[in-house]
Amino acid sequence: MWKKGSSEGSDRFEYLQTLVTEFQDTDSDEAREQVLANLANFAYDPKNMEHLRELQVPDLFLDMLTEENDNFVEFGMGGLCNLSMDPECRRVILESRGISLVTNCLSSRREETVLSAITTLMNLATPSSRSEIADPAVLQCMLRFSLSESPRLRSLAAVFLQDCCTAEQAARAERQMTQGRQTAVGIPLPEIPHPEN
Amino acid sequence: MLLSVNTLFPAASHWRTSEVANTSEVANASAVYTINLESCYVMVQGVPAIGVMTELIQRCALYGVVEEYRPLDEYPAEEFTEVYLVKFQRLTSARAAKRHMDEKSFYGGVLHVCYVPEYETVEDTRLKLQDRRRYVIRTAQNKARERKREEAVNKETTSSNTATTSKTVIPRHDKTSSNDNTDKTSKISHHLDFPLLPLPPREYHNYWHKNQHGTVPTEDKMGTLHNAVIETKQQPGHGSSSNQTSSDRDTEHRLTPSQSSGVPRFVPRTTHLEKRKRQMEDAAEHSATDVTRNNEPLIGPKLPEPPKLNMEEESVNTTVSLIRNTMKKVESVPGLKPVQKKVKPRRRI
Repeated sequence: MWKKGSSEGSDRFEYLQTLVTEFQDTDSDEAREQVLANLANFAYDPKNMEHLRELQVPDLFLDMLTEENDNFVEFGMGGLCNLSMDPECRRVILESRGISLVTNCLSSRREETVLSAITTLMNLATPSSRSEIADPAVLQCMLRFSLSESPRLRSLAAVFLQDCCTAEQAARAERQMTQGRQTAVGIPLPEIPHPEN
Repeated sequence: MLLSVNTLFPAASHWRTSEVANTSEVANASAVYTINLESCYVMVQGVPAIGVMTELIQRCALYGVVEEYRPLDEYPAEEFTEVYLVKFQRLTSARAAKRHMDEKSFYGGVLHVCYVPEYETVEDTRLKLQDRRRYVIRTAQNKARERKREEAVNKETTSSNTATTSKTVIPRHDKTSSNDNTDKTSKISHHLDFPLLPLPPREYHNYWHKNQHGTVPTEDKMGTLHNAVIETKQQPGHGSSSNQTSSDRDTEHRLTPSQSSGVPRFVPRTTHLEKRKRQMEDAAEHSATDVTRNNEPLIGPKLPEPPKLNMEEESVNTTVSLIRNTMKKVESVPGLKPVQKKVKPRRRI
């Protein structure tokens, strides 16, 4: 028989809980990658966001950002990109000092990771977090990204510079760069993947 | 590697059947879906080079308004095939088109449809992110509101269950019917490959708001009724009415809004008028694309695409009889044309 709406929600919760448990219990990196990717994809649907929050998945994703495995970082960052659209998840991420963890991902060699990081930072922009997000190092990074060969990276960085900082802040960062006081030295541009079909 | 949404969200079937999904089915996903991967720009490869560009665009238009399209001569193509860039007005249309056209046959060839966010302008990207954020926030608000409503309804149940006088008959009836509606709704939604109707005005408001931002992609739903298989209704007759309209106007690359004629709608007249009122109200506060759509004449068989794809709103107050009537109509409709005929007179009123 078909279940009522309320128990559909609990089915959903239980299934997501199964995934989280599987992630925590599995030893195989490959299996964990797949489960992580699934969780990050489920995070795309707003209907799952509350459940994922209850299951502390935002923290799980944040934990992935410091992993050696690039796939863990990419999938975790993607999951955060998805979750951070939700105001409650955003609050949780900010409380867990997410900005600095996400900012570190700007130096990833993986383009998707960087794109997710930029989008997440934009999502995390609140009046109180703005100063941390518009840190000169971050702005210089965005300035460099805005000159990238990658159209997506250019566009996202441009949106960030237009929406997440004042023109003055951006201009100051640019001046610092040209004057050699670069604080973004060492943050490489991500590799541009080959066009995929 | 970009995977088709069907691969990424096989769990969609899980929610429809209420069975616990086999994790391995979902585990094929080796990429994470984010807003950065999606775009209202799609690339269609594998189009047989036999002069079927018009037909291709007509097919695309089934899923929503096509703003621009052009052949991508610069892109490497397999022999005897062409590649096209198509820009949809709404991201939801692009999602639907990708979902329903990717890996499907077309005039002897097999189409491959993928998003190409690389073609977005900075403004396109900004709007995409804003729309997405608004949609998520709205969904979260709706969910919270729904939960409160259910809690209130449950409280009424508790209190009215103790009463035995006739005075309580009415509230109980209302409550019962709304509970029934919820049950029936979810039953129907699970049964039907068909979108639920946004009937009550207050639900409608939310519904329309969502439509304004074009955010009811089937892919967003984890297999709720909203992952309605539109294609089954569309495939049989997809060539019919949209061909008539778009071929008349299709002399340039920029199409006038040719409404997709895919998803049947059975919106009662009163709520339809309410919707238009809200449309007018919302037109003032939303982007130009929305305004363009709102200013279109609403008469005629063509329906604005976003409402048709917006199926996520659960209409708690939908009456059982209305849903049943709708069910009968839907089940009796073999394809597109009959549906359109039914919708036509209502829209003129």
